[in-house]
Amino acid sequence: MQQFDFYLWLSGLWDWIWGVLLWFWGILKWFVIWILDVIDGIWALVALPENFMFLVRAILMPGLIFVLFALIFTVWYTRKIWARVQDRRGPTHVGKYGGYQLFADAIKLMAKETIIPLKAKRWMYRILPSLLLVIVLLTFAFIPWDPYWNILGAPGSAFPDLSVSLVLIFALLTAVPVFSLLIGWVSGSKYSLIGGFRAANNQFASEIPMVISSVGPAMLAGSLSMFSIVAAQTSIWYVVLLPVNFATFLVASIASVGTFPFDAPVADSEIIFGWRTELSGIYFTVVYFAEFAEQMLYSALMVALFFGGFNGLPFLPGIVNFLIKWLVIYFLFTLVTSSFYRLRQDQIVHLCWKYLLPLSVLNVVLVMFAVVYIPGLLPLVIGG
Amino acid sequence: MSPDILDEASVIWFGPQHVSAHGWATKLTLVGDYIVECDPNAGYFHRSAEKCLEFRNFRQGSMILERICMMEAFLAEYPYIAAVEKIVDLEIPERAKIMRTIMLEFNRIHSLQFWWGQFAGELGLFAMLLWPWVDREYTLDAFEELTGSRHTVSYATPGGVKYDFTPKFHAKMEIALSRVKERMPVFDDMLAGSPTFRLRTEGVGHYTAKQALKWGLSGPNIKACGIPMDLRKDDPDPNLAYGMIDWEVPTTHNEEHPGECDAFDRLLQRFKEIETSLDIIDKLLPLLPEGPIIDPKARAKVNRLPEGEGYGRVEGTRGVTSVWLKTMEKAQTPWRAKIRGPCFASYYSLKHIVPGARFADFPAIFGSLDPYPGWWDR
Repeated sequence: MQQFDFYLWLSGLWDWIWGVLLWFWGILKWFVIWILDVIDGIWALVALPENFMFLVRAILMPGLIFVLFALIFTVWYTRKIWARVQDRRGPTHVGKYGGYQLFADAIKLMAKETIIPLKAKRWMYRILPSLLLVIVLLTFAFIPWDPYWNILGAPGSAFPDLSVSLVLIFALLTAVPVFSLLIGWVSGSKYSLIGGFRAANNQFASEIPMVISSVGPAMLAGSLSMFSIVAAQTSIWYVVLLPVNFATFLVASIASVGTFPFDAPVADSEIIFGWRTELSGIYFTVVYFAEFAEQMLYSALMVALFFGGFNGLPFLPGIVNFLIKWLVIYFLFTLVTSSFYRLRQDQIVHLCWKYLLPLSVLNVVLVMFAVVYIPGLLPLVIGG
Repeated sequence: MSPDILDEASVIWFGPQHVSAHGWATKLTLVGDYIVECDPNAGYFHRSAEKCLEFRNFRQGSMILERICMMEAFLAEYPYIAAVEKIVDLEIPERAKIMRTIMLEFNRIHSLQFWWGQFAGELGLFAMLLWPWVDREYTLDAFEELTGSRHTVSYATPGGVKYDFTPKFHAKMEIALSRVKERMPVFDDMLAGSPTFRLRTEGVGHYTAKQALKWGLSGPNIKACGIPMDLRKDDPDPNLAYGMIDWEVPTTHNEEHPGECDAFDRLLQRFKEIETSLDIIDKLLPLLPEGPIIDPKARAKVNRLPEGEGYGRVEGTRGVTSVWLKTMEKAQTPWRAKIRGPCFASYYSLKHIVPGARFADFPAIFGSLDPYPGWWDR
C-alpha cells in the first residue's frame, strides 16, 4: 500500500490551483461570451428594420416618451381648465401660460419627506403606487393613434394588433381598483381602508356600464380590435349613431377614474384623502400621475370608439387628427369633472346601476336590431 | 340598538387633524357606512379667551373676542362693547349707531360669503369653493379701506365707532355690495339649483323646531325651522339702528315636513340672511346723518368703570352671541367675563342629529350647522 507522499502532494498543488483558476476563467469567459451573444442577438433583432421601427414606436413616438410628455401636458391642461372654471390664480399666472406651476408642484411633491406609517406593510407600500402607474401606462400600447404609427398593429409589421385589444384594455384596468384597495389596506389607516373599499366599489359600479357601452361600437365595426373599430369609422363616426352610448361611456369612465363628481374614494371632507391619505412625496406623485393617465386613457378610448380616431381631416396626419379630437374630448371630460358636487357612494352605485346600465344594455339591443333590419347601415359602419 | 351591531363597529376620530374638522375632534362609531354614535369633544381649540379678557382694559378687550371667530370678527366683538355700554352710561351719537349697524350687517355678509365656499367645499365642488371667496376679497377691501385691517376690524369702541365713513369707503362698499347682489342668482344656481347639491342635502340632518329649541340652537339654524327668533327684532339693542327701519325676519319653511329643517333648508335660510342684510344696509344708508361718531366723554369714562354687571348680545351669523361682564369699583379690567357663543349648542346637537346618517353625510350636516370651535373653546 503506497504511503501518502506529502511532497508529491505539495508539487501537485500548483496544478490544482491552476485548474481552479482555469475553471473560473472558463466561467467568466462563458459569461462574457453569453452576454455578447445576447447583445449580438438583440442587435440582430433590432437591426431588422421592422423591429427597429417597433422599438422606436414603443419607446419614442406613440410609446413611453410620448405618453409621458402627454401626461405632463395633461396635468397642465387640466389645471388650466380647472383654474379658469374655479377662478384660481396660480395655474394661470406662474410663468408663461402658467407653465411653471406644474413643475413647481412636481418638485415640491418629490422633495417632500416620505413618511411610511408605523402600521404600514412597508414593501407593499413602496411597490404598489409604481405598479399602479405601470399598469395604467401599459394600456396605452393598444391605442391606435395613427394608421401606421402604432405600438402594436401597424400594417405589415411583425407585431400586429391583437384581435381583442379592447377587451385587453379593460382587463388591465380591472387591476386598478385592486391596487387602490391594496394601497388602502397596507397603509394601516382606517381612512385609507374606507377609501380603498370605496374605490373598489366605485370601479365595480362603473366598469360594467362602461364595458357594455363599448359593445355598441364593437358590434357596429364587427371587431374587438381597437384598430379595426377605428378603421371602420371612415364613413361615419359612431357618436352620430350612438350618442346615448357615448354619454353613458363618458359618465361611467369619469366614475371609473374616481375624479370629481365621483370622488367619494378620495373625498377630502370625509376621509381626508381616501386610499391616498398615507401616501406622501414621490408615492403620492406617482399615484397622482396614474389618475391623470387614466383620464387620458379614457379620453383616448372615447376618441377611438366614438369619434373616428385617426379619421378626420384628410390633409393632416392621422395622429394630429387623433390629438385634436383628444384635446376636445379631454376638455369635455374635465368640464364635467369640475361642475358637480360630490356624490355619495350609494348614489354613485345607484346612478351607475339604475340609469347607466339599463341605458347601455338597451343600446346594445337596439344596435343588434339595427344591424339586422336597417339595410343601408352595415356598409356604412363597416368602413372602406 | 342591539349589542351585536356594535361588535362590528369601528371607531373613527374625525379630527383634530382632519382637513375639514376645523380644529375639533368628533368620535364617530361606524357600522358599515352608517354612523351609530357621534361623540363631540370640546377642548381642542382652547385659547383661554375669557381669562385673557380679565387682563385687558375695556378698550382692548374686544380685540380678544375678534380672534375667537375671524369670519365674524365685528359681530363677535360687538357684544363686549354692548356689555361695557350697559355698565357705564354713554351717549352714542346717532351716526355711530347707524354706522355700527351697517358694519355688523356688512360683516354678516362677509361671513356668509365665506360659509358658502366652505360648505360647497365640504360637499366637493371646488368651483363654488373659490367663487364666493374671490367675491369676498371686495368686501375685505372695503374693510381695509375703513379700518386698515382685513379681518379683525375692531371698528366699534365703547361710546361710538373708531373711524368715519369716507367717500372712498362708500365707493368700495358699493362695489362689494353690488358684487354680492350680482352674484346671488349665480350662487343660487350653483347651490340650490344644482341637482347633485339637492341629492346631497335634502333630507339630511333634519330636526324639528321643538328639538332645536330644546338643544338651544339659535340664528339661522332655528330660523330654518320656521321660528322667527331673531335678536335684532326681539330685543333691539338701543345702541344699534335696527329699530329705525322696517324689515322682516327671514324664515324658511320646509313644505314636505312643516316645522322641520334639513341641510338644504339651512342653506336657503342663509341665502335669505344675506338678502335681509343687503336690505337693511340699503335702508340704513340714506338715513346716515352728519355729526360726531363717538361720545366725547367716552375715553374718560371707560378708563375706570363703576361696579356693575353688563350683558351684551347680538344676533351673529351663527346665532346668539353674548358676553357677560362683572366689574368691581373703579375697575380697569373686568373682574370676570363670560362668553356665550352660538356654536356650542350646534356642535353638541350633532350628537342627536348625526346617528343614523351615512358617513358621507357628516360633512353636509356639520357644514350646514356651521359650528366653529372658537365659540366653545374659549
